[in-house]
Amino acid sequence: MAAIAPMTHSLDTRRRPGVAGWLLMTPLVLWMAALVIAPAAIMLVYSFSERNPDTGAATFAFTLDNYRELFQSAYLRVFALSLLCGAVVATAMVAAAAAACKAWLWAADLFKGQRQRIGMISFILGFWIAINFLARSGNEGQLLKIIVDSINYAGLSTIICVLVGYPAAYFIGRSRESVRNLLLMAVMIPFWTSFLVRTYAWITILSDNGLLNSLLKWMDLINEPIMLKDTPTAVMIGLVYTYLPFMILPIYGSVERLDNAMVEAAFDLGAGPLRAFWGVILPLTRPGVVAGILLVFIPAIGMFAVNDMLGGRNVPMIGSEIERHAIRARNLPFGAALGTVLLVVFVIIYYLGTRRREVSLG
Amino acid sequence: MKRVCKFIVAMSAVLFSPMIAGAQELSLFAWSEYVPQSVLDGFTKETGIKVTYETYASNEEMVTKLVAGGANYDLVIPSEYTVEALKKQSLLAELDHAKIPNLKNVQPSYMNLAYDQGNKVSVPWMAGTVGIVYNGEKIKDPITGFKDIFQDKYKKRLVVLDDAREFASWVMVAQGIDVNAVTKDNLAKIRPQQKQWMDLVRSYDSDSPKTALQSGDVDIGVVWNGEGSLLIQDDPKFKWVLPQEGAHKFIDSLCVPKNAKNKEAAHKFINYVLKPEVGKEIWEAFPYTTVNVESKKLLSDEQRGNLASFPANEDKLKLFTDIGEVMAEVEKQFSDLKGQ
Repeated sequence: MAAIAPMTHSLDTRRRPGVAGWLLMTPLVLWMAALVIAPAAIMLVYSFSERNPDTGAATFAFTLDNYRELFQSAYLRVFALSLLCGAVVATAMVAAAAAACKAWLWAADLFKGQRQRIGMISFILGFWIAINFLARSGNEGQLLKIIVDSINYAGLSTIICVLVGYPAAYFIGRSRESVRNLLLMAVMIPFWTSFLVRTYAWITILSDNGLLNSLLKWMDLINEPIMLKDTPTAVMIGLVYTYLPFMILPIYGSVERLDNAMVEAAFDLGAGPLRAFWGVILPLTRPGVVAGILLVFIPAIGMFAVNDMLGGRNVPMIGSEIERHAIRARNLPFGAALGTVLLVVFVIIYYLGTRRREVSLG
Repeated sequence: MKRVCKFIVAMSAVLFSPMIAGAQELSLFAWSEYVPQSVLDGFTKETGIKVTYETYASNEEMVTKLVAGGANYDLVIPSEYTVEALKKQSLLAELDHAKIPNLKNVQPSYMNLAYDQGNKVSVPWMAGTVGIVYNGEKIKDPITGFKDIFQDKYKKRLVVLDDAREFASWVMVAQGIDVNAVTKDNLAKIRPQQKQWMDLVRSYDSDSPKTALQSGDVDIGVVWNGEGSLLIQDDPKFKWVLPQEGAHKFIDSLCVPKNAKNKEAAHKFINYVLKPEVGKEIWEAFPYTTVNVESKKLLSDEQRGNLASFPANEDKLKLFTDIGEVMAEVEKQFSDLKGQ
């Protein structure tokens, strides 16, 4: 870690741009203002507007009704109950870990000083299992279920992206330069064709009589085609496919900068491959992983093209739900409120993600 | 210096050409899979007016984009109940019949209907029905109506239109409720059966439901008749059935929004597509029920015998009327029951 400290310092002094820097930034700033900030502002205004009963368009009269409908008491109750569940699980797990530390030496070795992390992870798990259960069991309405489902699909896709992307990125980053450039190119080749065209290609792969099912049939592994298209599985396959490069590239960036001396030092000091990975390689490449997770998870939650095309419009996700409210149900203000809440959630996730990175660097 | 001048002239020509061309452009906003490119090209060739064609997949989507502003459309193609709604909100411009001499080609039974008496704001484009198409090689039991296809044995073998009002209307006719008696009470009444039916559906598609049938992902579809007609034309294994319980008969009309910029061009387009040979061209690409008497005469006997395009028995077909605010409830029920 000591080797990184001077580097961050020099980054800090370089970060302050001069006039020329700002001039170079102008196109980006204009682009951001026109295509990011202005639409977000319009959405915010719409979300506080009333719905014109005839046309569904927003009429500008300040109201909190859209948010009131979103934060209805049933949802809040589920949310509070789930928080409670998470807290209970976290307390129990921390206590169990402490007890285990006293009882066994290996447990002490593994859990020592990890109290905060254990608490955090078990809190999130407990909260998430509870909210999944509650959103599905009660008659609380479809919206909560859709939000939970979207986060499930996006989360699972992100986990798969990490599991698949990390080894790939590591291999690319550690290979000879000629091979590395070739492999990097292979990662980026999909960007040469339109995203929609590539997703259409997945339709022909995942259909009942598509390439995958035909292959499995030919190999005598199945008799009846497996129904993949129009299911959540297909949506997640599409999400992983779409976002995998966004996981590989930032991790690759971290791996490439990884100081080999550190890894060698770990081995010299007697660490096995697992220990070296867990104790040295992973912490050093963590910024890349965090960036990858942010780049995959956040857009995946709001994705609607993939689930429209591969999910047969029968796998509701929050992106398609916003589209439905705004366009089909002709309730633009409510769609805007939903979008605004989602935006706030993204900002929070992003803040948490980057904050942890700074901590790990410092 | 000369070169610089030339460069500036060239650049400004590029920059301003859209403005100059603006007077000669028609912005058409229509259903997807509904207006053949050849017709647009033919129109451009005859009049010099360029057409931009944007698509939508439901009436509700079209109305939202129309009233949201931003885009400016010169022509839209809403269905009868949406013409009624748009007319009520005076969002449509009055049409000048003198500029549409080909209006005489439209079959009288499609004119002067309740949704637009005197066709002040709308000219029929095409009509059609919703019906059942199925793969006769896979489905051996007799199919006569909705009750035969929404069966447990066909679970996940169905593609249906992604249209809340349509789906609700199928359950309603099956229960003997009038398709236009859409009230909160009736919606609550059909909800259990609607849920049962929607659980059987594999995918929802309003744009091109025939694709799922062709690829073999599903064996039964509840689709627009134009889609069904193409299927039975291309492959005799597909069968078309008009549900015995009844179905929606729609009339989609060409309308000019009040704030359209090129009303003149819009009138020209309406007149152009009502030409007999153009009507035939449209029918051959998208075989819905043609409203054009002269075009129908140009079709072959075999084409005219296509029962999907030209239903033999129209007794149980019903036009939709505008239901106003309840539409939001219809949409809500539909999406609540999806993907469960």
